[in-house]
Amino acid sequence: MHKLSNLVRIILFIVLGVVIFILSNIVDEYRVTQGTTIAAYVVGIASIILLTGYSGQVSLGHGALMGVGGYTAALVGDQAGAKLMGETATGVNLPIPLTFVAAILAAAGIGALLGVAAARLSGPYLAGTTLALAVGLPSVANQFKSLGGEQGLFYIVGDPPTALGEGVTQSKWYFWIAALTTLIAIFWLQNVMRSRYGRIWKAVRGSDVAAELAGINVARAKILAFTLSAGLAGLAGALWAMTIGTVSPSAFQLALSFSLLTGAVLSGVTTLGGVMIGAVILVAIPEIVHSVVDRVGASQTVADNLPSLIVSALLILTVIFVPNGPVEQMRSKSMKKKARHH
Amino acid sequence: MFEFINTLLIGLTSGAIYALMALSIVLVWRSTRVINFAQAGQALASSYFGFEALKYVDSFWLALIIAMVGGALLAAFIEIAFMRVMLKHTTSGPIANVAPIIATLGLLQIIHSTIPMKWGGADVLITPPLSNVGFSIGEETLAFSPMKLAIVMLVTLLLLFFTLIFQKTNIGLSLRASAFSPELARLAGVRVDRIRTLGWAFSGATGSVAGLLLVVNGTGSLSPTSLEFSLLLISGFIAAVIGGLESLLGAVIGGLLLGLVTAFVLMYVSDSLFFIAPFIVLLVVLIARPQGILGKKGGRRA
Repeated sequence: MHKLSNLVRIILFIVLGVVIFILSNIVDEYRVTQGTTIAAYVVGIASIILLTGYSGQVSLGHGALMGVGGYTAALVGDQAGAKLMGETATGVNLPIPLTFVAAILAAAGIGALLGVAAARLSGPYLAGTTLALAVGLPSVANQFKSLGGEQGLFYIVGDPPTALGEGVTQSKWYFWIAALTTLIAIFWLQNVMRSRYGRIWKAVRGSDVAAELAGINVARAKILAFTLSAGLAGLAGALWAMTIGTVSPSAFQLALSFSLLTGAVLSGVTTLGGVMIGAVILVAIPEIVHSVVDRVGASQTVADNLPSLIVSALLILTVIFVPNGPVEQMRSKSMKKKARHH
Repeated sequence: MFEFINTLLIGLTSGAIYALMALSIVLVWRSTRVINFAQAGQALASSYFGFEALKYVDSFWLALIIAMVGGALLAAFIEIAFMRVMLKHTTSGPIANVAPIIATLGLLQIIHSTIPMKWGGADVLITPPLSNVGFSIGEETLAFSPMKLAIVMLVTLLLLFFTLIFQKTNIGLSLRASAFSPELARLAGVRVDRIRTLGWAFSGATGSVAGLLLVVNGTGSLSPTSLEFSLLLISGFIAAVIGGLESLLGAVIGGLLLGLVTAFVLMYVSDSLFFIAPFIVLLVVLIARPQGILGKKGGRRA
């Protein structure tokens, strides 16, 4: 496969950033907020692609890891919200970028521990272990007073700097932060995947035994993948928390892990190219369904449950018919076409 | 001492239900090498079948049988309509290993979002057929009621039934053969596809019993977002894994162990550990014996 040079990639990312910036000034506030959610999903889905598509491991617990990131960011971030609610503030008051870093580090730490366990497990065993984590961790957060119990904690990123002028709204500010963070994260992830480690993971994914024979330390490769992936999930969690403004156990339930996995499959787990697809679908389908249901006038329970029904159906259809994702499917088709022409 | 016995009995009963769930997961694993994460969803659906049946019949036990048939049909349908197609389409590529996991999770979601459309999101009630008031010895009341006794007996009965089927009948032999090596079984004249569907149907019926018993063991209320059913999903799976995934007896041991551990943690440590306790049990077992309690070394094929 033809690879773009680094310079071209940097330029492409900058162009993409500019396009996103212009778009954010055209569309209305609501879309901008949705854009922030999409950005959080993109990072979360990318973390699954790294783990499943590249190192061949599966995790149903990335929603919980996002929770770790979100809670960490809230704990070390601006304490204005805590004071507002009369909660005991942690006394730490880090600037936003550092709260993101803290979120990444905390989630990566947990991920490293999990990775050590994961390296010993395969397929269904790993899925089950991470599943148990996804259910267990939020309920633990529920129990600690310092984590705000059921209510959770505030995570307030704050108003846009006045230097940016009057026209910059809160939601735009959040979106810019999320979009910039996401672009950097994806750029970094692409670099990692093109590095020695990316190739090592692909080898491990292809065959444990063959990779081992080629002198690869399989366990270490898997643990590294899990750690990095968890770190990304932590970042996604911080972005997610920024979007909602709070972190609470109910925001990081099993359903979030499922959503990430679904988004990754819809995007295609083998390539980063389609990472937007899944994120957009996850955000768009509930809205489309709601507007259709409003027009048809179906009952509330139908309206509430139809989106997840449709997304799950899409998930199963994708697994059956385009298991490697739409982008990979098109690429292999066009490659076949080219081969025929030559 | 009395408290200890009570905890033991409570753990035993919930352990029996977990064991049943684990059994249904093992049955699917043995016939298709798939971990069916939708099993708890199917159990939930079957419980609603039971609820529906109770509108027409008076006896809970009759409704249980109807729910079993419903659960078996649902499982067979899932096997034919989804799993068979998927396993044929997705045979290679990086996603082949995780495809069954993702597909069954998708099914779980589908079931969970379909049920409220039919039965609404609110609780429905299934009255337990037997008293939930504990037996009394002298002045003290045991935490063991006629209902709990019936649950333990029913589970024992089902376990004996499946052991007999697996070990003593031709169907059992075909089931074991198709799981061990589909190609060889096919050559020996076993209709592997049909046998697999049968394995799923057995598993669906078992899961239905687990679901309904779970409902009547508790308050009798049933809702699509029931916490007990998410716990059933986790517990059944964990019980199956610590039992070694291959063995029926292992599943039962795993289920009972898990039931006892959670009951004792709840009673003597803290109820905040309720959800995390199964996870810790799983980690401890997997670290000590990655192949499970009754699993064979090298038998871990994913």
